[in-house]
Amino acid sequence: MVDRKKAPPRVGISAEGRSKTYKSRGLWAIKKKHGGKFPSHPKQEKAPVAAAKAPKYYPADDVKQPRKRHSTRQSTKLRHSITPGTVLILLAGRFKGRRVVFLKQLESGLLLVTGPFTVNGVPLRRVNQAYTIATSTKVDVSSADLSSLTDAQFVPKKAAKKKGGDKFFEQPEGKKELDPEFLSAQKAVDGAIAGSLEGELKGYLASHFSLRSGDRPHLMKF
Amino acid sequence: MVQGGYKFHQYQVAGRHLPTEKEPEPTIYRMKLWATDPVRAKSKFWYFLRKLRKVKKTHGQVLSINEIFERRPTTIKNFGIWVRYQSRTGYHNMYKEYRDTILNGAVEQLYQEMGSRHRARAPVIQIIKTATVPAAMCKRDNTKQFHDSKIKFPLTRRVLRPSSRQHKTVFKAARPNVAMF
Amino acid sequence: MPFTRYVEIGRVAMINYGKENGKLVVISDVVDQNRALVDRPDEVRRVVSFKRLALTDFKVEIPRLARKSVLKSALEESDAFNKFHASSWGKKLESRRAKAATTDFDRYKASVKKTQRGRAIQAAIKKLGK
Repeated sequence: MVDRKKAPPRVGISAEGRSKTYKSRGLWAIKKKHGGKFPSHPKQEKAPVAAAKAPKYYPADDVKQPRKRHSTRQSTKLRHSITPGTVLILLAGRFKGRRVVFLKQLESGLLLVTGPFTVNGVPLRRVNQAYTIATSTKVDVSSADLSSLTDAQFVPKKAAKKKGGDKFFEQPEGKKELDPEFLSAQKAVDGAIAGSLEGELKGYLASHFSLRSGDRPHLMKF
Repeated sequence: MVQGGYKFHQYQVAGRHLPTEKEPEPTIYRMKLWATDPVRAKSKFWYFLRKLRKVKKTHGQVLSINEIFERRPTTIKNFGIWVRYQSRTGYHNMYKEYRDTILNGAVEQLYQEMGSRHRARAPVIQIIKTATVPAAMCKRDNTKQFHDSKIKFPLTRRVLRPSSRQHKTVFKAARPNVAMF
Repeated sequence: MPFTRYVEIGRVAMINYGKENGKLVVISDVVDQNRALVDRPDEVRRVVSFKRLALTDFKVEIPRLARKSVLKSALEESDAFNKFHASSWGKKLESRRAKAATTDFDRYKASVKKTQRGRAIQAAIKKLGK
């Protein structure tokens, strides 16, 4: 015969009943030791809370409380095919189709790229990596000093608001002067990269990317 | 280890009647059979055993079950299979021969052929015996025609297939040429 | 047109489907009308359907179910795999593979070369016309 005690019980059914389990667990011994009662910790008395004063003002309408958010912003993961010096193809924006050089990832997760400006007219610029194709071509950018370049430099500075005066009759301003700091940074970066653009690499960066008939971008190697 | 990825696997099941006072050491029966998994193999074991001997699952026990793999899966053998199956009119016995590298492959071929030629589904097919048949003792012409170390034949109808599903097209620009030499 | 490529022991065939597309194998035995046992020096012998095999013009002299060492020496002696790669079929496959492997930069360089060539030809034609 099958030993019923040793046989594994079905899920949700214990091998023995309530009273038998009570006995086998030895709970009766604990109860006996403490004079017929299970031991328990005395309830801690809470310090009395001072009654808050009733507010003097109640808003007439319900004011929605913003929900508390516990999530923190994760830093954007850089695609592993993109490393400093990778030639990227821009897919969106003013410079779509251009081939540019990736410099570094900024704090915001955007990619800092440069044309270089002298080669194809793309200035120091921030782009989202989703709108780029990373190619297998690399340019040496180790000599460029990028420590001073941050997100802040790319945020347009707000002009001080002029008080009074009719905006309609205001004279259109002349050509906007670029920030000299930005210009010098651009020159420094371009100058540092220029040395490593030998041979056909310069022409490659200057050329535009486009799909021809018969091209199957998902099967192409970049 | 997976050999071929066939639906039916070969299992060896050993079992016996439960020991009683009258019969403290009952006979142990061993069976090699084909099933999709060990659980079904045990079920099939009891099915066959209660037909053959006076032992049922209620008063029996399975002592061991293990899967059997082909010893030499890189050589071709002629497998003879004796089968019994239930048709719409009655039971029939059959002998079939297949060439394969693995016995499980031959059994798979058998199940496919029984299904197509006789509309016999897997549950009604009983494999009685299998054997590796030496070339000289093969009976069927379809197996004997490949017993030739100088075998030579052309592939007469060649359909050009795409090299991967990626290149599959619904429509072709030109009618395919299937006569490739 | 008579048949020139036969299924026979020692026939070099190419796998034409899936991951192993383009791989060369040698037929070492015939299972039945649909399948063959194929072998390669660096792989375990296995069964492949004729639907996924393309027979080539090349054959090596091996017995049925040849050992690895025999197969290896037969392949080295006949040089069948290299002969296939040197054939027009092999060259076509190789050029196709090379084209698929070109990078964006390679494509640019090719286009530059193409323009240069075209310009040179135009210049030469102009010269002849004068």
